[in-house]
Amino acid sequence: MTQLVQCLIASTLAAVLLHSHAQPAPDVAKSDWWSLQPLKRAAAPKLSVADTKWARTPIDAFIAARLNGKQLSPSPEADRRTLIRRVYFDLIGLPPTPEAVAAFVADKNPQAYEALVDTLLASPRHGERWARHWMDAVHFAETHGHDQDRIRPNAWPYRDYLIESFNQDKPYGRFVQEQIAADTLFPSEPGLTPALGLLAAGPWDESSLRDIREDTLDREIARYIDRDDIVATVMSTFTSTTVHCARCHNHKFDPIPQQDYYNLQAVFAGVGRGNVPYDADPQLPRMRRELLAQQAALQRRDKALFDSLAAPALQTEIAAWERNLSATPPVVWAVLEPTTVNSAEGATLTKQPDHSVLSSGKRPEKDTYTIRAHSDLKGVTAVRLELLTDDSLALKGPGRQDNGNLHLSEIQIRAVPRGQKIEPKLLIIAHASADFDQTGWTIRHAIDGNPATAWGIYPQVGKPHQAIFELKETAGHDGGTLWTIALEQQHGGGHLIGRLRLSITTSPRPVRISPLSDALAKILATPAAQRTDEQKRDLALHFLREKIEKALAALPAQRQVFAATGNFLPDGSHKPMPTVRPVHLLKRGEITKPGEQASPGGLSCIPGMPARFDLAKPEDEGARRAALARWLSHTNNPLTWRSIANRVWHHHFGRGLVDTPNDFGRMGGLPSHPELLDWLAVEFRDGGGSLKKLHRLIVTSAVYRQSSQHNARAAQVDADNRLLWRQNQSRLDAESLRDAVLQVTGRLDLRMGGPSDQQFAVSPGIHVTPNVDYNKFDWDSPAARRRGVYRFIFRTLPDPFMDALDCPDASLLTPVRANSVNALQALALLNDAFILRQSEHFAARISAAAKTLDEQIATACQLAFARAPEKIEREEMRAYAAKHGLVNLCRLLLNSNEFIFLD
Amino acid sequence: MNPNLQNESLGRREFLWRAGNGFGALALAQLLGAEDAVPPRARTELNCGLHHPAKARRVIQLFMNGGASQMDLFDYKPELFKRHGQKFDPGIGERVEAATSAPGMVMKPPFEFKQHGHCGRWVSSLFPHIAGRVDDMAFLMALASKTNVHGPASYMMNTGFLAPGHPCLGAWVSYGLGRLTDNLPTFVVLPDARGLPYNQKGNFTAGFLPITHQGTAINAHLPAPIANLAPSGTPKFITHESEQDGLALLARLNRRHAAMHPAHGQLESRIESYELAARLQMHAPETLDIAKESAVTQKLYGLDDKVTEDFGRRCLMARRLAERGVRFIQIWSGAGGPKNNWDNHSDIHNELPAMTRATDKPIAGLLADLKARGLLEDTLVVWSTEFGRMPFTQGATGRDHNGGTSVAWLAGAGIKGGTTFGESDPWSWKAAEDKTYCYDLHATILHLLGIDHEKLAVRHNGIDRRLTDVHGEVVRSILA
Repeated sequence: MTQLVQCLIASTLAAVLLHSHAQPAPDVAKSDWWSLQPLKRAAAPKLSVADTKWARTPIDAFIAARLNGKQLSPSPEADRRTLIRRVYFDLIGLPPTPEAVAAFVADKNPQAYEALVDTLLASPRHGERWARHWMDAVHFAETHGHDQDRIRPNAWPYRDYLIESFNQDKPYGRFVQEQIAADTLFPSEPGLTPALGLLAAGPWDESSLRDIREDTLDREIARYIDRDDIVATVMSTFTSTTVHCARCHNHKFDPIPQQDYYNLQAVFAGVGRGNVPYDADPQLPRMRRELLAQQAALQRRDKALFDSLAAPALQTEIAAWERNLSATPPVVWAVLEPTTVNSAEGATLTKQPDHSVLSSGKRPEKDTYTIRAHSDLKGVTAVRLELLTDDSLALKGPGRQDNGNLHLSEIQIRAVPRGQKIEPKLLIIAHASADFDQTGWTIRHAIDGNPATAWGIYPQVGKPHQAIFELKETAGHDGGTLWTIALEQQHGGGHLIGRLRLSITTSPRPVRISPLSDALAKILATPAAQRTDEQKRDLALHFLREKIEKALAALPAQRQVFAATGNFLPDGSHKPMPTVRPVHLLKRGEITKPGEQASPGGLSCIPGMPARFDLAKPEDEGARRAALARWLSHTNNPLTWRSIANRVWHHHFGRGLVDTPNDFGRMGGLPSHPELLDWLAVEFRDGGGSLKKLHRLIVTSAVYRQSSQHNARAAQVDADNRLLWRQNQSRLDAESLRDAVLQVTGRLDLRMGGPSDQQFAVSPGIHVTPNVDYNKFDWDSPAARRRGVYRFIFRTLPDPFMDALDCPDASLLTPVRANSVNALQALALLNDAFILRQSEHFAARISAAAKTLDEQIATACQLAFARAPEKIEREEMRAYAAKHGLVNLCRLLLNSNEFIFLD
Repeated sequence: MNPNLQNESLGRREFLWRAGNGFGALALAQLLGAEDAVPPRARTELNCGLHHPAKARRVIQLFMNGGASQMDLFDYKPELFKRHGQKFDPGIGERVEAATSAPGMVMKPPFEFKQHGHCGRWVSSLFPHIAGRVDDMAFLMALASKTNVHGPASYMMNTGFLAPGHPCLGAWVSYGLGRLTDNLPTFVVLPDARGLPYNQKGNFTAGFLPITHQGTAINAHLPAPIANLAPSGTPKFITHESEQDGLALLARLNRRHAAMHPAHGQLESRIESYELAARLQMHAPETLDIAKESAVTQKLYGLDDKVTEDFGRRCLMARRLAERGVRFIQIWSGAGGPKNNWDNHSDIHNELPAMTRATDKPIAGLLADLKARGLLEDTLVVWSTEFGRMPFTQGATGRDHNGGTSVAWLAGAGIKGGTTFGESDPWSWKAAEDKTYCYDLHATILHLLGIDHEKLAVRHNGIDRRLTDVHGEVVRSILA
């Protein structure tokens, strides 16, 4: 059977298949497979008298009918302590406190359980719990994976989007749409942009997609593999289909032609993964757009705009601005004419007619320029360094690096009386300002005395820049001064100044970077009445430019999310395309055998749903995604609604009604209760797609509330409990266990959102991938205490403790977590630094809460098990704690099966 | 036969270690993500093979991270010497491209080549010790990749797929054959002291197989080589006695709890998992204690020389792990990143000898030691890399990545020594005859372990996944 049913996919695109795998085109029209049939709301089966007493929801009728068919009956309801622990973990992923257990056990209200469920669903913890499930399904992590496993500092907004969406109970159809095409479908809500993090959640091959040569076959192969990951993520998650099996040939078992697969790739033909800027406030984009349009109009010397410069209103504004400005007279600069120029490393420095200095010839890695000049000025308050462009420089400079940049590590200014041979003293610089600072390379770095830091101007290359160094004490001597200015450029890589000019001033302090160019200062110095029309125009233009810049700068900075769209911030040679890339059907999946060009579409096997998207503008990549988003969320798409109903069921019972939540095809499982699945899907869809209603419906059912105790007779008939004659038992998943430990020890911090907690020490690696050391993390730091959903997952080097507890490999879509038990897991729970430190916190907590050892043991058992210790347990624990201390006892409790398993 | 080998029957304990058993086995396998798979059982009557009699009981894989330069080591090409300094033109009209640079001029190997052994295998002067053992080795001389990029190429050579997320060879072997001992992990990885390889732990992942089949990293150079084997940070509150008493109390608590939850198999499994953990704690330190080896043995592996010490120590540990029942041992030479590995983009003259010097003597020592102890009869040793390098220069004297061809060799159990399979073109640019891929290498390794690579499959996300995808042919001509 195994070979027969093998889906002969070649997962490498250049696959050389040994046999021909040409499949006949599936007869889509004849497909009668259960998951593709339209949804039908079945009537709930009639109940026997006994079952009527038992049943609480229509769900129970479907379950009871199947059990009756096998002469089985459901298990009795679990006791309240078991029930509250179960529903807490299922809905919020945390254990109940001892107080909550006591209150629930004592609650006489017949609706106590339902009230509890409502409280949990309203808790912000609920969104955290279910976001984590979703993150498994879509293989979310915060690094690229592969050999260049770079950190994605802006991935987390997608996680916060998920938590918020689950907490808000966002209608599911809308939730689907946002994650595929929020930017296109809801342009007026830019705050939804993080939803697009779904498409970029998985691994990304930076080497192949950014760093190797663009013209290689390897790059093109990588693009197909990259889109394959997106298609597989979307279709597995939302429709539970294995469309990725149709990459090399028609699907062997499901009615999915190869064409469908490539049509889905075509939907994403225009996207790239990268940082996408967005505004949280919907007003901001409009304001920014308008300002940028004005800026563009200024730049292209728009005629209408130029015609409006003389308008009285604008002139009045300008006059007011000028009055304000004249209160601070412009700084007058005297250019220093260099007498000698020197490069320590042998670059050629040449004096220019405008007294600037141009660097050419040899480009050393590092250098120090020393420039000497004479001046008669006294009372000098500041020195100005101008970086000038020049046609001889790459990108016109002003730096000599290939990218036009430079790095000024330190500036040293000395001044001695002319003709005197004394050791010139270093002048102290009180303040430095620049017209532009590269991120992380500010002008302050040029005066911090640290040659390892520097000022840079990237990416503002190709234009002049300036920096002003204000002196602490005025300088200049009677009879003239010899100025010696050293420009240290120690960063390396040829980040050197290409052309520069030095000036000094005696203007009163503060002397800071002025927005006024020399030309403008000249205009302002001319009385208004005497200005030429050209001068008036230039002044108005300057005013407008400055006004727009100020307004833009005043807008809150845009946020960024790592997502996939057509419009992301370029990263080296990985940049947005002017138009969508052509996607071809690849024969046998081989890159060297392209067939017809694919056009965007969905699956062709769903009755009543169009296979191809009819797009007005097929070149618009956003429209392609919008069409898929609508297709997926359509009420007539039976896969979408069945898929999510089954996923929710899976997380409440440890197994879905279909036990392969990502595969509703012929290779997947069959639904154990097909009518129930359809009933739930329809109820969910027609009830507005409310996940919270669906949760409530399921967890208030009698079948959910059953005991998980063994029943030998039932087990004989249905060993796997497919018919749900009891609730299933399970080991806590990695995050639940971790969060439960933190709650029990009193260390849980419920702060929500924001950048993820890196529970490792990180340092620069030898190449792109940083060094990550889990042993060097401080388990008392604030980053240790938040819920597991906020934990930073490093794709190629996951936390070994969480690994041991089956926290999934984030390179894989994981609809179902493993639930394993093994020796390395035991060692992790015994010896990992997290558990050891938490054991100490746990012991400290119970020591503070109770005086005697017996009371402390009782408190510990309440916290860990929500019950009092039995007499024999208390005796054993007392003996052990008396001999080896409370910390050791606490460590054992955190290792115990009762703490780790859920009934 | 080695007396340290444990009972090979795969009893209940083995099954529990691998899986635990909550629901029925089938349901459990589904919970584990292995959707239709009952874990396979090795069969005693097949010498513990799965589908046919096994020749090899265990594997030691030596992985040269970065792309070892085949034409500077084993793939002797006179044409390169003749055309040194000329423009590279294979004359077949195929575009010449390189991953990270513009193709340069033809570069001859800057090392001397000689023929060695009865088989007359050409080996360069960089491997004087390994050259002495060529009669034990079978060479794949035209082993190609499907990419020229480290990340996907390393995934491919380890897992059979370019994209991440698939189980690696060691994990498949662990899954397919299970354990030879309860005292040590089944699959052990010994990374380079300078760091993990490209893709880091992605290269030794269990993917969708149960986590227990993941490679257990042993950092030979660290004071605590196995994570969490002992309490992290050696806290004062833990003593030998507190551990003894504690585990006893934990077992009592857990047994009492299990008694209240009849027929809940996972509870029993967890109780046993602590017993297994204790065995591991007892046996692992002894296994890794190479001070127990004689001075002669230590010298054989190059432990007396700084240059060979790290790799030699790991080779010697590998032998000790192998004798004590570890099924699959992977030793890495080279960390990820641009240097300290086999990714010699800048200068073959200096970068490559640094790598060969560190590994040559230890590898030859390992082979000699295994042979002397009779272990080579049922231990398979594999030397491989993720891809080869280009026959033309990158920069002045470097070589760029080349997925077109590379060299791997196998020695030991079931291998016909002194044989070769495959041949690259006259420049060692691309595979020319009897081209192989990782699929064929993997199929051959599985075959020697008694596994039919086409039958070892696990359903994942709708596809029956194999290590060899839909490819792979056992290279029979190199089998004894």
